[in-house]
Amino acid sequence: MAARGSCPGCGSAALVEDSHYAQQQLVCAACGCVLAEGLLTTTYAEEEHLREVAYSQSTGQKEQLSRCLQRGIRRVQDLCKVLQLPTVFEETAVSYVQRALQHPSFHLVSLEKKELLGGCCVFVTCRQHNWPLTMGTICSLLYAKQELFASVYLSLQKELGLSVPALSLADLVKTHLNSFRLFQHAADIPAPFVENKEKVVARTMQIVELASETWLVTGRHPIPIVTAAAFLSWQSLQPAARLACTLARFCKLAGVDLPPPAHLRLKELLEILLRMASQLAWLRVFNMDKKTVVKHIGDLLQHRIFLLKNAFCPEDEEEQRAAAPGEASPGSPGAAGGAAQGEGCPSGGKRRPLLPPCLINPRKRLRTAAPSASDSAITGEEPISDSEIEQYLRGPEEIRAFRKAQAW
Amino acid sequence: FKDDLSTSPQLFTPMSPYDVDLPIQTTEDVLFGSQFNQPKELPTDFSSVDLSFLPDITQDNKEQNLFEDGHEMQKELDGSTSNEDSSILTDESSLAYPDASQATEASGVCPPLTPMAPMTPVTPASESSGIVPQLQNIVSTVNLACKLDLKNIALRARNAEYNPKRFAAVIMRIREPRTTALIFSSGKMVCTGAKSEEQSRLAARKYARVVQKLGFPAKFLDFKIQNMVGSCDVRFPIRLEGLVLTHQQFSSYEPELFPGLIYRMVKPRIVLLIFVSGKVVLTGAKERSEIYEAFESIYPILKGFKKAS
Repeated sequence: MAARGSCPGCGSAALVEDSHYAQQQLVCAACGCVLAEGLLTTTYAEEEHLREVAYSQSTGQKEQLSRCLQRGIRRVQDLCKVLQLPTVFEETAVSYVQRALQHPSFHLVSLEKKELLGGCCVFVTCRQHNWPLTMGTICSLLYAKQELFASVYLSLQKELGLSVPALSLADLVKTHLNSFRLFQHAADIPAPFVENKEKVVARTMQIVELASETWLVTGRHPIPIVTAAAFLSWQSLQPAARLACTLARFCKLAGVDLPPPAHLRLKELLEILLRMASQLAWLRVFNMDKKTVVKHIGDLLQHRIFLLKNAFCPEDEEEQRAAAPGEASPGSPGAAGGAAQGEGCPSGGKRRPLLPPCLINPRKRLRTAAPSASDSAITGEEPISDSEIEQYLRGPEEIRAFRKAQAW
Repeated sequence: FKDDLSTSPQLFTPMSPYDVDLPIQTTEDVLFGSQFNQPKELPTDFSSVDLSFLPDITQDNKEQNLFEDGHEMQKELDGSTSNEDSSILTDESSLAYPDASQATEASGVCPPLTPMAPMTPVTPASESSGIVPQLQNIVSTVNLACKLDLKNIALRARNAEYNPKRFAAVIMRIREPRTTALIFSSGKMVCTGAKSEEQSRLAARKYARVVQKLGFPAKFLDFKIQNMVGSCDVRFPIRLEGLVLTHQQFSSYEPELFPGLIYRMVKPRIVLLIFVSGKVVLTGAKERSEIYEAFESIYPILKGFKKAS
């Protein structure tokens, strides 16, 4: 086997690779001059012998992966590390990213969206394992706009046919409350504000369950509800010291963001609690308002099943108009069953139907009239009068004036 | 999120059921009555049924009465468009709408029509919900088949706006029927906002007329309904969390993103937006009957979630 090059001694081109014992030597066949010996096959030597080693071939594992895929996988791995997820999650998420980036519909997607794909895969993995991760968290970690994330997430779900189970509120409560800072003493937190974490978590869960039973959760963003519930439960555990604290201050002390809808959720929760309080015999004597009811949240939660049944009439039964104040006895639902499917209750009535807030306070909307008979008689083939069309055309003077104004 | 409620021009077979609404209400009852005999066999819980094998609704059951409707089509076209219509048809169909069956059906007369299901009078089944979804928006496309000077149109028409930096089409509106059209320089036009198929057709013709009066040789080719949107109210609140659990393979409920549940029904292929208030929006239909059928399929499922805790 001839090697390349020429012998420095005699100039012959007949170079042979031979071995002296076990040592490889490059010898000139003509004069016997040894050109090189002890050549170990290193990458450098290979290159010296003019054999190019491509980068993709030399780094074994990554040789099949494109740069985009590598970046996606690295993003997923980083996210999993930051969120401290189990290794199983990382493997699943990486497999999703690979499937996604190799899917034809994601090939030509913008780089910005490809960046988000990694986050979406992590999000889907967490949801599938019932790990309560919100989109807000992922978006803030990726510095992504939520609308963009939403569109990438939905197309990912559709293209890969992933089934993503619903977010479990119970787990979300636990995770969200983990980030609250009020469970340990700190310099900026007044002593009476510090609270035992388990108690707060337990009571918050009960309030969130109550909210979901009374239609406050369906269709709404979960985090504001959890924040409002946490606030109420924290207040109710030591009302004397904490009633004066506002929701905003609570969030600041706890070190969490105050989501804007939280105030509305708080109002709705208090309204539900007030109605329940009106059914509790030993509370009826007091004039409850939204401050004082907080003191009795413990009792209300304890008897919530009974109170809910009595404070709210079933959705499809009509309210009895003549209900005397304070006399809505538990036995009346049967008597109140009317033929009409009344959802509204008279404002003065003691009970209101258990309905989502959007049905209780419908926003006034201008409803266009239902298609009239004359509309339905249109065949689509009617003759079109010239005058009708001409109303849409500009006259010549108008065109001139317009041209001048526009300076096209 | 690809599902755009108002304009989602999808490439599909043409359809002009303008003969449906003439015998107005009775036909509708008959329609969803006749379509509706099926739910007796359909399980109310879709999760136990494997529907993945079902094809989309195709031309198969709609190729009746083509020829008699074809004759009616001749009269409708304004100007002398009917002759060009038939000859250009096959070209147009291969260009814009790659549906092979359409080209073969073009019996040289007119765009093939897809009339509604046969009108055998049938009384609505007793499970009928009694609620009829109202059509809210119809999106249709038509080919004017001539190159248009958009700047010229915007200058000479009162009801047109044109901002080439923002969007490459003229946006034109007419008052009756209250609609909006996007007119492109290629001569293609999208008409949105009508409340019925006939209104959409009438509106599209009016836009074509306006363009004709502005001096362009506009025709009226390949009018097709691309999307229909309907809405209705079931009158009771719905537990969306429960619905997404039992119908997971069809539903997507992400309260962080959108307050409603997105239900992708397989047969008919309709997307429904279901809200906690009981309001339902149905979209993605090519025919009115699909909306009615979809609603009648979803109604028993929703009723199952009526009695909450």
